[in-house]
Amino acid sequence: MSKKRKSIAATIAASSLLMVGVYSIPAASAADVLTITIGASVPLTGSLAKEGLLTKEGYQFCQEKVNALSTSTINGKKKQIEIVYQDDTSKPDIAAQNLSKFNDKGIKLILSSYGSANVNAQAAVVEINKQTMVDSGGADDAIFNKGYTRTFNVMSPASEYASSMVKAIAELAKPKPVSIAFLSADDGFSKTVTAGGIKTAKSLGFTVIGPEYFPNATSDVSAALNKIKASKPDVILGSVHFVEGVALIKQSKELGIVPKSFAETVAPPILDFATTLGALAENVLGSSQWTSTAKGQDRYFGNAKNYAAEFKAKFGHEATYHNAEASAACLAMVYSIEKAKSIDADKVRSALSTLDMLSFYGKIKFDSTGQNTYKPMSVIQIQKGKIVTVWPRRDAEAKMLWPYVK
Amino acid sequence: MDTFLQVTAYGLLQGGLLALVAVGFSLVWGIMNIVNLSHGAFVILGAYIAWEMQSWIGLDPFLGMFVSAAVLFFVGYFFQRFLINLIVNGPVFITLLLTFGINMILIQGMNLLFTADFRSIQTSYGSNSFEFGNVRIPLVRLLAFLLAIVITFALVAFVKRTRTGISIMATGMDRGAARLMGIQARHVYALTFGISAALAGMAGTMIATIETFDPSKAGKFTLMAFVVAVLGGLGNMYGALVGGLMIGLVESWAGQYLSGTWVNAIAFLVLIIVLIFRPNGLVGKAFYAARVEF
Repeated sequence: MSKKRKSIAATIAASSLLMVGVYSIPAASAADVLTITIGASVPLTGSLAKEGLLTKEGYQFCQEKVNALSTSTINGKKKQIEIVYQDDTSKPDIAAQNLSKFNDKGIKLILSSYGSANVNAQAAVVEINKQTMVDSGGADDAIFNKGYTRTFNVMSPASEYASSMVKAIAELAKPKPVSIAFLSADDGFSKTVTAGGIKTAKSLGFTVIGPEYFPNATSDVSAALNKIKASKPDVILGSVHFVEGVALIKQSKELGIVPKSFAETVAPPILDFATTLGALAENVLGSSQWTSTAKGQDRYFGNAKNYAAEFKAKFGHEATYHNAEASAACLAMVYSIEKAKSIDADKVRSALSTLDMLSFYGKIKFDSTGQNTYKPMSVIQIQKGKIVTVWPRRDAEAKMLWPYVK
Repeated sequence: MDTFLQVTAYGLLQGGLLALVAVGFSLVWGIMNIVNLSHGAFVILGAYIAWEMQSWIGLDPFLGMFVSAAVLFFVGYFFQRFLINLIVNGPVFITLLLTFGINMILIQGMNLLFTADFRSIQTSYGSNSFEFGNVRIPLVRLLAFLLAIVITFALVAFVKRTRTGISIMATGMDRGAARLMGIQARHVYALTFGISAALAGMAGTMIATIETFDPSKAGKFTLMAFVVAVLGGLGNMYGALVGGLMIGLVESWAGQYLSGTWVNAIAFLVLIIVLIFRPNGLVGKAFYAARVEF
């Protein structure tokens, strides 16, 4: 061996020893800790940025609580979770691609994006990659009737969103209204919501008007309102997102349509709804996946009131149901990892399929399709600018005010 | 019949709002041959400025829109004079790319500055309406409609009757000849872009008063302005108004007589049909395609 080659070999050997030394120091100190990496592709920009940020906050809060309070071990090591984020720009194809990027890095445990279209795209990729995903943002039943086995949704199904409000009106509204007009955005999630609401309304003896559809995310719903105006419905129930929800209330007033009540999915529980509409938001009903009166508790968040208080202290705003469902999804993942005593995606999937727990979010248990059909939805109402729970009765903070306009 | 009249009235008012959004976009495209993909971001920026004016000092949006217009004028002038002018002689794809980049920066900047929260300017009269026969006319939409008409006619008067306006038109028709006549093309272009941005700011204020907005809506308004400008035609200051009213009516009628899902499809179908028979748009001028640019 020449002198030059000897020198190179010595340098490589020295560098190797040095590298071993450098990496062995943290390895020794971290020997008792197992960091579990979980991938989360969420919409941080684009049309779902608002809900995406709320989802991220929910995940972050969960990570903080679990890492602070976790005492259980896996293979003798204390577990810590690390959630890594990718922005899917509110686009389903990017949401799906991001999961494949996670897979390429060996990340098999996934927390979902927000929005049924995004989660629908992700669920297919999760099956292909043999990842395991807990869903906090896609409630459309259509995601779960395709035979997928690796996606679990902590939320009540889409079919319950309008249905819960119809049940609340039937139970609490005095005098009981006769007719309900269904207006809906034309995306898959909203259509599923509407179909569920109509089925329940018919079964409870209401006269159903519509449904009338308008384009998803439109700010002009006047055509649908004009179609139902002559029928003078007692209740206008909108399967809407925020923008259509605000337009529905504003344009009803512009067109002189005054039902006994407005009920809307998704929009009223968002804090911006009451601030945007002001007095027009008063007494509007909404369906919510979670409120701070939900029953149940867990060892990381305590009960719903604890969650709401600590969340507000950390993030400076009231916890919305978007925050809570994201934290609940993360919680379900953590409980399943603890139950499986493994971070293997197949073992965690098996643990999720038999999970049955109470939490700050209520009951989390999945049926054979992966949906949490065991948790009821709550119905809220905007009263004096605040969001209050009015149904189910056992969780109610206040009586439902009826009718919308006296 | 009452329903038809109601739907038609709403369509016209909605069309006025679309025209208001598109008039500045059409001006820049017609005069400078620049498809400004950041136009929607200017609209949203105008909405935020008016919203801030109302939040800080309680300024009514019909006054706040002039603040928006003034701020956006300087923003637009700056972008054109010191950025877009650098590549104004380049291929159209370069200007597309640059304005797309400006759009991305503005949207992300607004996301950071204002967050992605939904906003709206609240006024005591925001949802008021009055009856005209059996037709209800929403007040703010009517005012926005009237504003679109006033702006269009004011723009026509400006470019036809003022020295600056004539220099803008001259530069749009033949940049080389305009320079030989002593017109500073760079300044005129920046002025045109500034006026366009100012009009976007006014449109944004009206949008904020009528509906909700957040940074992600920028793309929607750029697309809307594009469709209206193409349908109305370039080279005619009335193009945006005609295109906007047409789209507003078509969408309103389609929404009434077909399922809501078809509304967007029908609007684009009308655009295609119009372009087959009138490639320069409803009132566009063909000579703009053969203008001289040196």
